[in-house]
Amino acid sequence: MSFLSLRRTALKGAWSCAWSSPLSRAFSCVLSTTLATGLSLSAASASAADILRVSAIPDEAPTELQRKFAPLGKYLEAETGMKVQFTPVSDYASVVESLATRKLDLAWLGGFTYVQAKLRTQGTAIPIVQREEDARFTSKFITADPAIKSLGDLKGKTFAFGAPSSTSGSLMPRFFLQQAGLNPEKDFRNVAFSGAHDATVAFVAAGKADAGVLNASVWDKLVEAKKVDPDKVRVFATTPTYFDYNWTVRGDLDPALVKKLTEAFLKLDPKNPEHAEIMALQRAGKFIPTRKENYDGIEKAAHAAGLLK
Amino acid sequence: MTAVALRDPAARSRCWGVLTALVVLWPLFQAAEVKPGAIFDAANLKVIGHFLGGFLPPERSPEFLALLARATLETLAIATAGLALAFVLAVPLAYAASAAGRERPSLSPFSRGLLVLLRGIPELVWALLFVRIFGLGPTAGVLALGLTYGGMLGKVYGEILESLPAAPLRALRLAGASRPLALLYGALPLAAKELGSYTVYRWECAIRASVVMGFVGAGGLGQLMDQAMKMLNGGEAASILATFAVLALVADALSAWLRRSLDRPPAARAWALGGRSLGLLLALPLAIAASFRLLEIELSGLLTVEAAQSVGQFAADFLHPDLDPEWLRRVARGAGETLAISVVGTLLAAVAGLLLALPQAHRMPAVLARSRPGRWRGRLPLLLPSILPNLLRSVPELVWATLTALAVGLGPFAGALALALHTAGVLGRLYAEALANTPPSAAQALRLAGAGGPLPFLYGTLPEALPQLVAYTLYRWEMNIRMAAVLGFVGAGGLGQLLYVELSLFHHAQASTVIVAMLLLSLAVDLGSARLRRWLG
Repeated sequence: MSFLSLRRTALKGAWSCAWSSPLSRAFSCVLSTTLATGLSLSAASASAADILRVSAIPDEAPTELQRKFAPLGKYLEAETGMKVQFTPVSDYASVVESLATRKLDLAWLGGFTYVQAKLRTQGTAIPIVQREEDARFTSKFITADPAIKSLGDLKGKTFAFGAPSSTSGSLMPRFFLQQAGLNPEKDFRNVAFSGAHDATVAFVAAGKADAGVLNASVWDKLVEAKKVDPDKVRVFATTPTYFDYNWTVRGDLDPALVKKLTEAFLKLDPKNPEHAEIMALQRAGKFIPTRKENYDGIEKAAHAAGLLK
Repeated sequence: MTAVALRDPAARSRCWGVLTALVVLWPLFQAAEVKPGAIFDAANLKVIGHFLGGFLPPERSPEFLALLARATLETLAIATAGLALAFVLAVPLAYAASAAGRERPSLSPFSRGLLVLLRGIPELVWALLFVRIFGLGPTAGVLALGLTYGGMLGKVYGEILESLPAAPLRALRLAGASRPLALLYGALPLAAKELGSYTVYRWECAIRASVVMGFVGAGGLGQLMDQAMKMLNGGEAASILATFAVLALVADALSAWLRRSLDRPPAARAWALGGRSLGLLLALPLAIAASFRLLEIELSGLLTVEAAQSVGQFAADFLHPDLDPEWLRRVARGAGETLAISVVGTLLAAVAGLLLALPQAHRMPAVLARSRPGRWRGRLPLLLPSILPNLLRSVPELVWATLTALAVGLGPFAGALALALHTAGVLGRLYAEALANTPPSAAQALRLAGAGGPLPFLYGTLPEALPQLVAYTLYRWEMNIRMAAVLGFVGAGGLGQLLYVELSLFHHAQASTVIVAMLLLSLAVDLGSARLRRWLG
């Protein structure tokens, strides 16, 4: 066994002390403390309790997510005194699952993925903060086809959603389409799931889909960065507002740490030059506290749209 | 007398065969929305031209290349570790399931059923299950590959053993040898070449299968490829594709080298192992160990109580499939679409594969004859016809699907085309080998008797090679039905899209229905393919 894997085992043991049953706890703690003590003599490195494991739903390319997170990660390290480890993933459901199986401590979730996480953790996952703009979020319907001018024109066309469990790229647009009397499975010629918001734009720009829908914030970012030609791909409808993204912690995280994390987010101020980069990358004017009840509307919409059973 | 000789004796039955096939296949072509015109639609051509234009120049920034190198290693490691696991699983299963060396053919329903179950569920579904236990990472991918490929290797090993001449085995058994010993001495030496070649071929396939694993975050080149293709980033896609092609060519060369080594007459020395065999014996465990180490796989994670609980929970959810008639109708429609995609894709591939194989088959004996080292320059022009099939099959179906979706729009036809392109490469190679291995005597006799043009091939070579060609095609169809299910993930419709959506939404009851449908479909295809093989053979 190499030194690294030994250390990992030891750390895992130390960490599992907090969660396993009293009987096995005694045994594994003795074992792992022995290991950990022995190892910490040779390496002055962090123990498991000092690592904050963070991830985010892959609503944009994973490389982009990592770039966006880097300065925020450093800031959280400074604020909590813990090592922050960001794991990029390529599947929405795996973030929810990892939070539920306590393989993640903190995750950036969409409104609907939060509801999924809440249901899978028997209501223990706690949303702590959200961006000010997440309280009145919208989705943009886009097309490159001159013949499409309103939602009604989508009949018989190929349409791209983002990921199936995306709030702004799937659930809420589907809900509002339904209210406009459109059933995607019946009325569209083909329904595709691009997987991510930026991919939806690529689908529509390339003509792979006649129209698509995405998160307003990512759309604005792509337009500002000139990644999309607004003369070619245009917005032809916008949804009403709803609650979206938040930062969620698993329910059994140390309350003191939860408080520290919440305060760290709320302290972020775009006028502070040290925070400016973080806020710009997160596309946040300000972080505000959030609570579970904010997402009841999403849960109802998910039931109505058949995404929750 | 002359009148009889001039008439094609097989013409009538062949005509009827083609007509029957057309009648049976027509609805499937309809369901797959085959519309060849879409390929030449001006708007579509422009779109795909633009994307392919982006391939040049390939992405070469140092960060991307570092990422690419790491991902390549990871892919190799996932494939190697997965195949090692598959091998360990396949050997006992093949032994139990195969009828070779038995007094009377037994059906061994348990091991055969297990093989069908392992192969019937696409590796992606296994991967999703293992992500629940191990969390994100390559472990899920390795185990998923191990199980699915274990099923495939087990089945094919068993069939290869069954297809051998029965005489040596029977002689050994009658002389009192036990079944394992009879297989070891009466079957393995005869089958070693084919078994080895098939295992190396599966390893190549495992590398491609890691693309599918990329979807569930199992890392490797697949994850990079998924991103690049979704974002239609031509430069990155070109670099990744080039890496893939090189990997496939290297694996191909390795497999050819191994087969040539197996062909050599034994060296005149007392000890059975020469330098080459020794090197291989050392390199293999080293490569497997290095793979497990690189991926940091901890198999002990499988054995914890927590893991057992989450498997139990997951299995319990899946034991209650949703049988609502409305949902069943949607699943049935999806299954029909998936079936159509697989049939149309395989048929198109069989036609294209035969066209690819013909120029190769003529040269194959020449290539093999000149396979002495140091003669590369002479062999290069002979190898050229095999480059196209190699390129076709080195591009995974999922990547082809992204391209064909640009070419003909999202939908089942894009899926069928993607399957056809990849499978044509595979069949092109397999057909060429089968044709080259066909004894030339029949065709030669016809030629000497004065038959000209394509006749010696059509009436001499083809009938002899046909059972093998049909077997390969049907076997690819069995694989394609599984791939057709997965192609739904990139917008080709069918069962795959249903499964992807329902799993994303944690609708396990609905996902379970889809998986059951996939299993039933692959079972039906296996049965149908076996029956067809018997009927045609």
